[in-house]
Amino acid sequence: MSDFLQVKHLKKYFKTPHGMLHAVDDVNFTLERGKTLGVVGESGCGKSTLGRVILNLLEATEGEVLFDGENIVGAKGARQKELRKKMQIIFQDPFSSIDPRMCVSEIIEEPLQLFKMCSNSADREKRVAELMDTVGLAKRLAYSYPHELDGGRRQRIGIARALALEPSFIVCDEPVSALDVSIQAQVLNLLQDLQEEKKLTYLFITHDLSVVKHISDEIMVMYLGQVVEKAPAKELFRDQRHPYTKALLSAIPSAKVGGKKERILLRGEISSPVDPKPGCRFAARCLYATEECRKKPYELFEASPGHFVACPRYKEWTEKKGE
Amino acid sequence: MEKILEIKDLGIRFKTDDGIVNAVNGVTLELKKGEVLGLVGETGAGKTTTALAIMRLIQIPPGEIYQGSILFEGREILDMSDKEMQQIRGDKISMIFQDPMTSLNPVRTVGEQIAEVIRLHQKVSAAEAMRKACEMLEMVGIPAERSGEYPHQFSGGMKQRVIIAIALACRPDLLIADEPTTALDVTIQAQVMDLMENLKKEFGTSMILITHDLGVVAEICDKVAIIYAGEILEYGTLEEIYNHTAHPYTQGLFDSVPDLDEDVRRLKPIDGLMPDPTDLPSGCKFAPRCARCTEQCRTMHPDMTVLNGNHGVRCFAALNREG
Amino acid sequence: MKGNHKRSRLLGIWKRFSRSKTAMLGLAVLCIFILLAVFAPLIAPYGYDEQNLREAYQGISMRHLLGTDNLGRDTLSRLIWGSRISLVVGLLAVAIGAAVGGLIGSFAAFYGGRIDSVLMRVVDIMMAIPSMVLAIAICAALGPGLVNTMIAVGFSSVPTYARVVRSAVLTIRQQEYIEAAGAIGSGNWRTIAKHIIPNSLAPIIVQASLGVGNAIQSAASMSFLGLGIQPPTPEWGAMLSTGRQFIRDYPMMVVAPGICIMLVISSLNLLGDGLRDALDPRMKR
Repeated sequence: MSDFLQVKHLKKYFKTPHGMLHAVDDVNFTLERGKTLGVVGESGCGKSTLGRVILNLLEATEGEVLFDGENIVGAKGARQKELRKKMQIIFQDPFSSIDPRMCVSEIIEEPLQLFKMCSNSADREKRVAELMDTVGLAKRLAYSYPHELDGGRRQRIGIARALALEPSFIVCDEPVSALDVSIQAQVLNLLQDLQEEKKLTYLFITHDLSVVKHISDEIMVMYLGQVVEKAPAKELFRDQRHPYTKALLSAIPSAKVGGKKERILLRGEISSPVDPKPGCRFAARCLYATEECRKKPYELFEASPGHFVACPRYKEWTEKKGE
Repeated sequence: MEKILEIKDLGIRFKTDDGIVNAVNGVTLELKKGEVLGLVGETGAGKTTTALAIMRLIQIPPGEIYQGSILFEGREILDMSDKEMQQIRGDKISMIFQDPMTSLNPVRTVGEQIAEVIRLHQKVSAAEAMRKACEMLEMVGIPAERSGEYPHQFSGGMKQRVIIAIALACRPDLLIADEPTTALDVTIQAQVMDLMENLKKEFGTSMILITHDLGVVAEICDKVAIIYAGEILEYGTLEEIYNHTAHPYTQGLFDSVPDLDEDVRRLKPIDGLMPDPTDLPSGCKFAPRCARCTEQCRTMHPDMTVLNGNHGVRCFAALNREG
Repeated sequence: MKGNHKRSRLLGIWKRFSRSKTAMLGLAVLCIFILLAVFAPLIAPYGYDEQNLREAYQGISMRHLLGTDNLGRDTLSRLIWGSRISLVVGLLAVAIGAAVGGLIGSFAAFYGGRIDSVLMRVVDIMMAIPSMVLAIAICAALGPGLVNTMIAVGFSSVPTYARVVRSAVLTIRQQEYIEAAGAIGSGNWRTIAKHIIPNSLAPIIVQASLGVGNAIQSAASMSFLGLGIQPPTPEWGAMLSTGRQFIRDYPMMVVAPGICIMLVISSLNLLGDGLRDALDPRMKR
């Protein structure tokens, strides 16, 4: 069986006044139908750009995105429109991602109209009611405006809009990070239920590591446009083989008394991926970096079945740590 | 230990076009010297309003402090003249705001901005103030050479450090930090939290940390107060709140966050939404969302009752269980 | 149900609009002028070109409620007839300017890059020429007349609208819902029409309601130069400039059209403010 989504050597560069910004730099992965791939990383690591390039909302500079075996990079016109039906996105900010001048039913109905999914307006209305029911929005809200609703409900509108075209693949770009904790859990549960019910495949982009662990089957860690580590969710939290992943996970504050872990404090801050030098991009902040690290070209290799890492010296430093 | 801050039965409301917003309804809190209090709540719970009231920064009108008192080192803040208050602000009490991007003046160097606070409160020469400003920068981990740079030359985490440096420039007795790490990435958050922990250890600064993140609270706070709809629902030491959770809302908050150490298929979110602050329930404010709600909860307003030691809770169900 | 909703939406806009007393006042005043213009032949006591040199330079009297002008024509009648021309010139010129300027501005902002640079440089060049001179040039090329005046005045205001709209659209374009529209397969044209324009209406409305006054005045200057509406067709601006020569002795000739222009402009401003708020569902009460 061919993989549902396959991304090969995907690159997205932006021209800036300071040089070429490597937002996404040689990303490879495959994703099976019905699974969730979590993408984590700090701001500026290119995770949101990755999601948009896969959806063809931004044009890739290089590389392939095979969706159901078909390369969709550079799709235009009718073909592009057809793809929109299969691949959707849920945005981060429930406040700016919906048009403030449209009421709830108009927002959900827009994609239905665009794709003439319903033969008449009565049908369409029924479908909107169905979708609202699916995402747990009360019927009486159909003619409310977004500003009258709270963040959680607005995010449900965004989810309903994405579901309207019955896609099989959804990019969730930080869908819960703007929400309060109690609401966040409601939306996460909704996304999981929808996935089970409709066999959806998710690319789940977030900076929140506890959320990503909860929802993902596999996790991909990005740093300055590159994937530094990719592994099944549980394994990644048990065994980190890239120093960046290790530091990232150690930085999560735990909501337990006395459960304080030893934090690995990284030196400095994430730099910008403008005209990056060859060699490991994390080397400048890495505790274990050597001269060699700054020269060796980037390569993601399979360290053990299903566990990919971009640090060729992972054995050395993980052992050192154990001593 | 000596009490540095004592808030008694504080009530704040705002007159708006939609009616009267009851933002803070009888908040009672106290903070001893050298303690760090975590004030935990969701959007609209009244945490920032409480903090602004301590700084006397509530806009009156539309705001109104209709009851209660705030004693700072035994003196009533609400009765002070504007001039007295100006002397206290930035000198004895400082506040750090959430957004590091907008809290700094973009056209002045960071050194100048720190020196400005020093000169406002201390009779020192410009050169002396600048020297102190550089010291402050070093203290928060920014090389003194960078004092002549402008805010846009710093990254988000660095800006937040500059803001901390400004807040600490006059060695305040009380520091109020309003979501100081929410806008930052985890690894940068770890750096800022480390800095705050050092402050606590080295200078014994008393702090109020306002946040929604229970993980951050667990890392640095001694005491915790859970605020909901303008009321403290539970307070106590870190240990009491985290290991002997009494209020169903507090429990709900813990259950809403995915646990890193355990695997749960589904989260247990708190049902429903925050109550409308213009139309609060007459009984327990949390009753409409509470799974353990009884007739008594809907009609009667529970008082804050001390369970043992410092641990207080505002819930009938919790008391019955204890009793 | 659907139709109901459409109607209820209009009702909602009307409800928000009618809550504002000032906006209602503006609407009322404008309606009066429109009625005057429509029913001018019935209302006006005299014809607009009825000269009576024996009754020239009269003040307020029962025969001539607002006096007469230098040729003995009844000022009130001329004002009533003139409202037809002035309102049409003012509103249509603004409509032309806002439509063309709005299109240029939104395209420039939406597509950005080279299209933006080229369009905006053209606009800059237009801006560098004083709008009056530009209008005169256009009018001189097209020849005098009512329609040409409107076109000339309208086009001379294009750069202003283009600038205003461009900056409004630039902010809106950054919003995620524009990207969201693309993600559900909405084409660029549709996104501009359905999402960008409605959300950038506010500054256009404000600019347009101020623009009507300018347009009336520009049209007047054009007539004064002999390029605009030709006498004896009454036009407020032209009446104002004729009356200017006699302002010391017969102030009514200036005051009367002046007040009319002022009333129309202020009613439009009030109306515009009210409309801007009413069209925005975020504005309550």
